[in-house]
Amino acid sequence: MLASRSLGTDLLHSEKQTLLRFSTLYILLSIVIIWAFSFMYYESQKGLMLQEKRVILQEYSKQLIQDLKYLHINFDKTQTYPRDDKFDSAIFDSDQKLIFQTSKTELTLNKILYLKNNTIHLINIPESYYLGAQFIIVKMKDDGMWIKDVTKKIVSFTILAFIFMLVIGYILLRLFLKPMKDAIKLLDNFIKDTTHELNTPISTIVTNIEMIDKSSLDKNLIKKINRIDIGAKTISNIYQDLTYLTLGNKIISNDEDLDIAHLILERIDYFKSLADAKKVGLSATIIENSSLKIDKAKFSKLLDNLISNAIKYNNIDGFIKITLESKKIIVEDNGIGIAKENISKMQDRYARFNNSSGGFGLGLNIVSSIAKEYNLKIDISSELKIGTKVSVSW
Amino acid sequence: MVKRVLLIFLFVSSCLSANVYETNCVKCHKNIPVSIDKYFYRYLLTYSSENNVKTAMINYMQNPSKKETVMAEAFISRFGVKKKTTLKESELKKAIDIYWEKYKVLGKLK
Repeated sequence: MLASRSLGTDLLHSEKQTLLRFSTLYILLSIVIIWAFSFMYYESQKGLMLQEKRVILQEYSKQLIQDLKYLHINFDKTQTYPRDDKFDSAIFDSDQKLIFQTSKTELTLNKILYLKNNTIHLINIPESYYLGAQFIIVKMKDDGMWIKDVTKKIVSFTILAFIFMLVIGYILLRLFLKPMKDAIKLLDNFIKDTTHELNTPISTIVTNIEMIDKSSLDKNLIKKINRIDIGAKTISNIYQDLTYLTLGNKIISNDEDLDIAHLILERIDYFKSLADAKKVGLSATIIENSSLKIDKAKFSKLLDNLISNAIKYNNIDGFIKITLESKKIIVEDNGIGIAKENISKMQDRYARFNNSSGGFGLGLNIVSSIAKEYNLKIDISSELKIGTKVSVSW
Repeated sequence: MVKRVLLIFLFVSSCLSANVYETNCVKCHKNIPVSIDKYFYRYLLTYSSENNVKTAMINYMQNPSKKETVMAEAFISRFGVKKKTTLKESELKKAIDIYWEKYKVLGKLK
């Protein structure tokens, strides 16, 4: 998400999912690699510590063997097992049966030198089995200094390695996103160039139609002019959408207290000819008027897209009902509707689910971005062949 | 009644076993200036575990040789290699069991 934002790329739902999967996999892989290195380092440090202690334990072992030898020779006189404060010991016969131990602990004879329960164990096999002892274990407490040092180093390493892996991951992510970003940029540039060329002719058509005095014309001519008017308004809408899309983020908002009811009536009037052409009834119900501090052009764009979609995806003799409640606008139609599985993708840029009508699949993406900018909540419910209901609340 | 018979049986069998060791081992070793426990510790020094010690003792009693002895060369030179045992294997095993129990280290260390 962060990467996609910082790259300035408007990523689609499926692309975001791919990115999320890639990031999860990469982080998991990084954790496994860091854990493996930490484990190897821990094992090597443990090995080094054991080798250091081995020298000391060898000395203790030698001393114990001498004492056992003395006891073996004088067993008829004394049976006191030799003890030392510095270490504990145990002796086993050749069948690995315990003969004696100075402290009760579970011992294993599988390894020569090992660390278990914070105790370092060394197993020695003497040349002669004094008192029958073939295996002599000497053990001493581990002071734990090495593990504190190792933990510190592992924590530092983990932090540094994780940061490093994140940086590498970010670079990889950029490389991974580049083809996607290039494709979107190419499309955006194409739209930008096209809209630039459309500006002048559209303005000329719309202005000239407005300037015509329709009262002095006969019915047939008025019909023809109305058709031109509808065509010009459709192109004008597409033009405005494309302009918003390419310049949307750079347009400075001029927020004002907007009379929503007035704007709804104004837009209905604008779209009336378009709706009439499709024999679609367009009505507004103002339950409670409210105002909103918002840029008029942007909110008008939001409303235009909802109404034009409702007209575009409606049936002949259909209806569009616009309701204004307290802090809520509902645009409802009985058009072709949309399948439930596509509802979540409706706000994606270039998302189109019906080819019977024209369009670029930009309308709801623009609605969504304006809503995001002003923290407006969009709820869409739709059913195939029944209709669509879009509500905007604030 | 059953208890009494069992106790008598145990007493008689232990006396019989002791006799095997006392009459066949201690009797002769008394005449040698080296006490009988010294052989035990020699075996322990070489064979370590109870099983290994007992097996080595039985093997040596049945086939004594200069090569197999655990005793020092000076001892063999002075007293020679012992004669082959005339005891049956079961009697020999009993005698060695008593010998092991008498001198074993296990359970005696403090």
